[in-house]
Amino acid sequence: MRTPKTVLKKVLVGLVLFSLGAFVAFLLPFLIASFGISDPWVHHPLFSILVMTVIFVVAYKSTEKLIKKFLEKYFFHKKTFAQMTLMDLAGDLTVNLDLQEIANLVVNTFGEVLQLKTVALLVSDPLQNHLEVASAYGWTLSASKGIRLATDTPLLRMIHQMGPHVLMRGPVLQSLAWQEANALARDLDSLQAAWIIPLFVKGELVGLLAFGALLPDTVFDQGDFHFFREFAAAIAPCVHNALVVKRLRELNFELQDSQSQWVQKTKLNAIEKLAAGIAHEIHNPLAIISGKAQVLLMQKGPKQLEPNVQDALNTIVKQTRRAADITRKLLMYSQGSRGPQEWVTLEKVLDETLALLAYQASMDKIEIVRNLDPELPPFYANMQEIREIFLNLLLNAVEAVGSEGKIVAELKYRRDEELIEIVCSDTGKGIPAEHLDKVFNPFYTTRHEAVGLGLFVTKQIVHRYGGSIRVESQIGIGSMFILQLPYVAEAARNTIAKRTGAPV
Amino acid sequence: MNKILIVDDEIEICEFLKSFFEDRDFKVAIACDGTQALEQVSLFHPEVVLLDIQMPGLDGLQTLKKIKEMHPKVKVIMVTAVETQEKIEEAMRLGADNYITKPLSLEYLEKDVQDKIDILAKDL
Repeated sequence: MRTPKTVLKKVLVGLVLFSLGAFVAFLLPFLIASFGISDPWVHHPLFSILVMTVIFVVAYKSTEKLIKKFLEKYFFHKKTFAQMTLMDLAGDLTVNLDLQEIANLVVNTFGEVLQLKTVALLVSDPLQNHLEVASAYGWTLSASKGIRLATDTPLLRMIHQMGPHVLMRGPVLQSLAWQEANALARDLDSLQAAWIIPLFVKGELVGLLAFGALLPDTVFDQGDFHFFREFAAAIAPCVHNALVVKRLRELNFELQDSQSQWVQKTKLNAIEKLAAGIAHEIHNPLAIISGKAQVLLMQKGPKQLEPNVQDALNTIVKQTRRAADITRKLLMYSQGSRGPQEWVTLEKVLDETLALLAYQASMDKIEIVRNLDPELPPFYANMQEIREIFLNLLLNAVEAVGSEGKIVAELKYRRDEELIEIVCSDTGKGIPAEHLDKVFNPFYTTRHEAVGLGLFVTKQIVHRYGGSIRVESQIGIGSMFILQLPYVAEAARNTIAKRTGAPV
Repeated sequence: MNKILIVDDEIEICEFLKSFFEDRDFKVAIACDGTQALEQVSLFHPEVVLLDIQMPGLDGLQTLKKIKEMHPKVKVIMVTAVETQEKIEEAMRLGADNYITKPLSLEYLEKDVQDKIDILAKDL
């Protein structure tokens, strides 16, 4: 294809050659005359044209090359421009600490400026002992994802041998015995790479750039390769720093996570001690209050109680039981001691729980829908705890709806992730966004009569099973609680038991 | 007349339980700790003992063990303020016949005591 640039080049070559020819043709008669030859045909215009044609034909190729080089150097700046863009990029990268951004910038700029078919930047993951694709240009996302090079693959061994030089597919493969060459070619193919530019920092390989075959019309020469080396040396520290920052962020996150877990555990221990103490000290007086009221209520003989007295005594009995339940519940779940475990049919437990709520729900005109996975396996757990989970979620939902609405209880088995998912959604009033992270805190409640332990307790149970719980909510539309519990199949559990010699 | 022994370090608890069971034609004895309880079991020969787990000195579990050693036929119902799983399991292992938690439901307690007495009557 003829671009305006190539036409311009051809015209310039023609002009230079023409003037060169004209100059020689003009000088030739004088030159010949100086040798003492003065034939009249020398001055004939045809002779000049002949000489010009000869010069044109002989010098065209080499002149064109010369002029091209000259033009590119001083007028079109083709490679210089590319190199400047890339060096600018390297400069920009030094202040960037985001690995993904760096990777995207590098591969996209290289791909576009050098007109490469594919470019991939791989970075090292020292914890996993491999390099993985951080970003790719010219690849489909799914193809580039998941490409990993273990540190002992032939390609990485070769790169370590060669040091910071550009690895060229053709010459390197030719220099190897066929078996080694095949192994190396496989690695290169997996990266669709014709050239590999390693990124070293202090002798440590932090990543590599893999260039795929060029689009036609582009060639690399020694200068380019020299430049690539320089570029690699310039960006390698950026990649290294970004990797360090990424690792630091991860560590920081882990630290925060374990710290909050620790705080949570300490909190629970404190609550447990407090609850045990309170239960001890309070349950005896409560037993006396309630007991005396019950003695009066249940006494036999001719004495009949006034209705209002009877009412008051009933209230005393009921309220003391309620007070005791608070401390009991708090104690039970802060202890974290698990009751006996068995294979629980979740569907059955859900139905039992729904039966408990059916009356209240029908009074409040709340429709409760079950949505069950037909392939739900039995779950190894403490029945009481599973019941507590369902009861807390559904009670909350009923309270949230108030009257007239719908509750959906879903049980799903996610086979691929090996998770049991319990979802409880309601058409209730919803939870304000600023309260979403508080709903699992102990004693958080929006109801006057509630203690605020339901969701806290649920979360403790879920955590004991290594699961997670989260909530999504929209004001006026409703809330959805999503629980995920890791499912361990019976066979796997038996193997674990055999291996550790302990019952699970 | 059926006989019941009530063991609790809280005297008020002993007292209302006493009046409750006396109202139901039981003969009632009271003990405030484990040592007294053991004496009463030997002297009073109750059919049923209501035994608090947490007591100073000889605690409920030790007392239970001794009662069951000396008088295996006596029915013992444990009473707890705080039901910790291990203590309940330990009590059951030592031969307790049931356990109830404070605050007590007298209706349930009455029924349970009657059950134990019925079982004893059958055995005779």
